[in-house]
Amino acid sequence: MAVAETGLDRLAVEGPVGSTAVSVRNVNMVFGDYRAVDDASFDLQEGKFLTILGPSGSGKTTLLRMIAGFQAPTSGEIAINGIPVGHVPPNKRSIGMVFQKLALFPHMTAAQNVAFPLKMRRFDARTIPARVAKYLDLVKLGGFANRRIHELSGGQQQRIAIARALVFEPDLLLLDEPLAALDRKLREEMQLEFRRIQRELGVTTINVTHDQREALVVSDEIIVMDKGRIQQNAKPSATYRQPSNSFVAGFIGVTNFLSGSVTDVTDSEVAFIAGTQPLCGRWVATDVRPSAGQSVKGAVRAEQIRVAATPDRLDDLQTTVAGSVMDVIFEGERVVYEVRLASLQDATIRVFDHDPSQHAEFEAGARVFVGWNARDVLVFAE
Amino acid sequence: MTTARGKTIFLWTLVMISVVVLSAPTLVVLGASFTAGNMITFPPQGLSLKWYASIAQATDLREAFLRSLYVALICTLVAIPVGTLAGIALAKYAVRFEKALQIYLLLPFTIPLIGSGIGLMLIFGNAGILGQLWPVGIACCVINLPFMIWAVTASAGSLDPDLELAAANCGAPPLQTFLLVTLPAVTPGVITGSLLMFILALNEFLVSLLLVDARIVTLPVQIYNSIRSIITPDLAAISVVFIGCAALAITILDRLVGLDVFLKSK
Repeated sequence: MAVAETGLDRLAVEGPVGSTAVSVRNVNMVFGDYRAVDDASFDLQEGKFLTILGPSGSGKTTLLRMIAGFQAPTSGEIAINGIPVGHVPPNKRSIGMVFQKLALFPHMTAAQNVAFPLKMRRFDARTIPARVAKYLDLVKLGGFANRRIHELSGGQQQRIAIARALVFEPDLLLLDEPLAALDRKLREEMQLEFRRIQRELGVTTINVTHDQREALVVSDEIIVMDKGRIQQNAKPSATYRQPSNSFVAGFIGVTNFLSGSVTDVTDSEVAFIAGTQPLCGRWVATDVRPSAGQSVKGAVRAEQIRVAATPDRLDDLQTTVAGSVMDVIFEGERVVYEVRLASLQDATIRVFDHDPSQHAEFEAGARVFVGWNARDVLVFAE
Repeated sequence: MTTARGKTIFLWTLVMISVVVLSAPTLVVLGASFTAGNMITFPPQGLSLKWYASIAQATDLREAFLRSLYVALICTLVAIPVGTLAGIALAKYAVRFEKALQIYLLLPFTIPLIGSGIGLMLIFGNAGILGQLWPVGIACCVINLPFMIWAVTASAGSLDPDLELAAANCGAPPLQTFLLVTLPAVTPGVITGSLLMFILALNEFLVSLLLVDARIVTLPVQIYNSIRSIITPDLAAISVVFIGCAALAITILDRLVGLDVFLKSK
């Protein structure tokens, strides 16, 4: 579902708005009774970095493999640069791919791996060494040309895989969770590296990951998938701030869900009661209005909630609820409180406290008050 | 502390016993081959190389040895394409009736060699090729092929399942993918399997015994025939040459693919 883009978002994207590089139309993939991809459709503009984000089994990798040509969709059409590729075998598609386990050729050196696509695609043999050197430099491995693959570190192997995928200047770059196996520090470094190289070359990129942080950091657009269906297709900020349904709201960020039933509906706001606690929030779906008595859940992010010892310190917030601290988790840049709310049928919510002066102010068992604004509560149908 | 020490002593004792038991036959033969006497004895009576000189002179032994090399070569040359393709197919592709096929390929192991030998003798007899040397190589290949398939399967199974897709993604058509990526990537397994096949064929006795006649005896059969008449130290010397061949094969293996690949069957 499309979310309105602001003019500012448009300006932030470099370069001219290009033509459609990838077009996926009503693509289905069915294995026996199992629908791995269910009616997926999206368009991707040239030069954009798209991330398909979802839990394992959401169909994101299947979708990527169909674009690469390794699997044929049960139905639907995929077009690259406007040309349907249904009958084009993978070796005839101009697509570079970085695989989950990299799939570097173990019997070749780093340079031979990078040269392989050029040889297979019949580039002029005289230009190959210079081009290989250029792409090894691009991934900062200029001095490692003659190393064997097993002599390289995990991060270096990643870079060789990127060079191999890009060296023939493909129309499209596919990344199949290549960072999943790396430790956190290296993963974050490589995320920025992907971003840098993608911007430098301007190559249209589709990245698949289950790491929401990676999706937010590297992408121009994010498609969230679950159970084979595209749940949302939007810019990272919109995905985070305006999730189109409760799955997206729960999958990205730390979100508290408060279940209740609708008591009153106005133009923009929904009043509902959770346990004995009256709550208020924004209704997200634009097409259907909730009706009184309907079961709903309100989603509120952990960073939108404030915690204080007395309610008067939260009187600028529309909703304040009494609770008791169950657990305190110190995470360095923030403290996470787990707070149980008696009036919400003992629901436990998570609250981020980024204010250093208050750090460790509360201990487990403390009586506290939590508060938030109605505009930060997104209400979804149950 | 004493228990840890006791454990160490116990383990070392076990290791030493194993080493002695495993290497004793080799050491005895090695020692006996250098004897200066006229009988196989251990410890040897004096040191000399005269039995090595004797086997170098003995044309029957030398010819039998060359015939064994020939048999081993035929066996290996047949095993490489057959075993490599079968091994890759079993490891990488969803082969129909894969389990049944695997069991079928293991049959030569489960049937006693004497049974295989008699079967092959009847087949070769009917085909009218009994009494020639090359069918012995084929026979060795048939009974030992599972080793080759195992070595290749182990090598192919450890490869990244996306390797061939990556080659396609790089622009390689299917045949190029197989020749330039799949085949080289399983080379360690092919080398391991080939050397195993060579050594096994070189040493093969029982099946050879049934398939050869007096004109084309292989070395193990020749040694066996000699033992039945008189046991002289030249048999120990020729055994040492045999052991040397095996050692050479293992050295080549280590140089080419590393012994760890062989031991772990990576």
